[in-house]
Amino acid sequence: MASIAAAQVQEVRSITRIERIGAHSHIRGLGLDDSLEPRAVSQGMVGQKMARKAAGVILQMIREGKIAGRAVLLAGQPGTGKTAIAMGLAQALGPDTPFTSMAGSEIFSLEMSKTEALTQAIRKSIGIRIKEESEIIEGEVVEVVVERAAGGGGARVGRLTLKTTDMETNYDMGAKMIDSLLKEKVQAGDVITIDKATGKINKLGRSFARARDYDATGQQARFVQCPEGELQKRKEVVHTVTLHEIDVINSRTHGFLALFSGDTGEIKSEIREQINSKVAEWREEGKAEMIPGVLFIDEAHMLDIECFSYLNRALESETAPVVIMATNRGITRIRGTNYRSPHGIPLDLLDRMIIVPTSPYSHQELREILNIRCEEEDCQMSSDALTVLTRVATETSLRYAIQLITTASLVAKRRKATEVSMEDVKKVYSLFLDEHRSEQFLKEYQDEFMFNDGSGDAPQLMEVSQ
Amino acid sequence: MEDQERVVKYLVSVEKLANDILSDKHEIVLLDKRRNHNREALRDLTKTNQKKCWVTVGSVLIKHNVDAAKSLLEADQKQLNIDINKLRSELKVKVNNLRDLEMQPPVPGLMLNPLSSKETEALSSSKLINS
Repeated sequence: MASIAAAQVQEVRSITRIERIGAHSHIRGLGLDDSLEPRAVSQGMVGQKMARKAAGVILQMIREGKIAGRAVLLAGQPGTGKTAIAMGLAQALGPDTPFTSMAGSEIFSLEMSKTEALTQAIRKSIGIRIKEESEIIEGEVVEVVVERAAGGGGARVGRLTLKTTDMETNYDMGAKMIDSLLKEKVQAGDVITIDKATGKINKLGRSFARARDYDATGQQARFVQCPEGELQKRKEVVHTVTLHEIDVINSRTHGFLALFSGDTGEIKSEIREQINSKVAEWREEGKAEMIPGVLFIDEAHMLDIECFSYLNRALESETAPVVIMATNRGITRIRGTNYRSPHGIPLDLLDRMIIVPTSPYSHQELREILNIRCEEEDCQMSSDALTVLTRVATETSLRYAIQLITTASLVAKRRKATEVSMEDVKKVYSLFLDEHRSEQFLKEYQDEFMFNDGSGDAPQLMEVSQ
Repeated sequence: MEDQERVVKYLVSVEKLANDILSDKHEIVLLDKRRNHNREALRDLTKTNQKKCWVTVGSVLIKHNVDAAKSLLEADQKQLNIDINKLRSELKVKVNNLRDLEMQPPVPGLMLNPLSSKETEALSSSKLINS
């Protein structure tokens, strides 16, 4: 039960967190119904039905733990919703399943070797569910009495009366408990828990019934309900931690502070082996469950041949997460070699993958997406402006059209209009060049730019990744 | 008609199980109440220096030997602890059964064995879990 409460608390927290509007912030799931059929427009997802249905099947397989050690490749042209589908999958999996998202180029760093970065990403995507259990006494303090034995200097005796909505009882206390009660400044009306094993006292807050005791209270005064039920409870809390987090706290050179500073550096392989065997032991004893999560590698064509062969090996391990990669490349050179291969991924790895294609959006779908983005960016748009924008999206790219939404809404705001009109869109269309017009412009005025090699066309420009 | 019967049958099974869970929870509260009363009594008996004490058995008051009364109470405590633990572990199974009937996924990690106190201590001191 505690885990449900914990999950709810987490959800509440994520709502209060103010998020910037990102490119995929409108996505709340895969937009599938209970029988995994994609709905036309749902949870921020539009069109791409086949790919979404495939993602739904993958989702089901992940939930049932059947897909570990396999990989999924999302392949499609730029701007066809590959990242959106991965994000939707992450949202649909829920907060309990670890989901790590990284770009292929993230593994190239001076601090860490490529394989170390990949290992860390893989171990971040594997969760361990463990349970902590404690016997606690939880109740509202009715009265605390501390007496010093006559003559002074003798042992003190204390009595603590606790109640819940159902019962009330007295506890005799020894000197140590009296000390910790006094240290915590426990007084009548506080709701406290006492850990039976350690004797640790935890103040939860003040009872609502005592809310009118004082006119002025400190800032920290928190009011809670008087606990219900039995006084002596068994508290069970289920935690989900990732293998990487356990690695970090056991990595002696860094210690747990590295968890927060993010400066983990390389972790020795012996430590990983120790942790693997400990976790295996826990699973044997029924103390831990493994949750294979999802590792999403965007721009997977940026990985080089070493990474691919490492991944090939890592997928064999029984604790491998589901690896989802996305790429927008066709047949191209595998990084680090001179061989060409579909998607820039070696054939042996490609053979292990389930490939999900995404196809370009239709006119109607583009309009729907632009509409959702308008809502997400709090921008009122007239329907003819949306038509123009959809046309821009078909002729140039969806990303460029989405950029125009915000800029057009700013232009509309400047003329104090509440709605973005067609003129606003036209204005920003002339103010900001799209990729194609920019290229056209460069070709025309090539000679006047610096370092011009005079060849007339600019093939390098086309290499820029989306 | 058949559908109706099936629905009623289903609802009855859900309500029955739910009621069972609630009554078990209530039972735990009652047992804990008795456990706490016994504990208070045991403490008071250690403080007294009389040879005999009053013991209630049902609605009858009996004057009894202190030592004998103590051993009676201790035996009762032992049995109470066993009963409470048994109810608690049965409750888990029942809750999962109910969730199964209501087409909800089982509570994650409910049937896990807890970590030992040493392991919990190690994890919480490194701030990985906060207890």
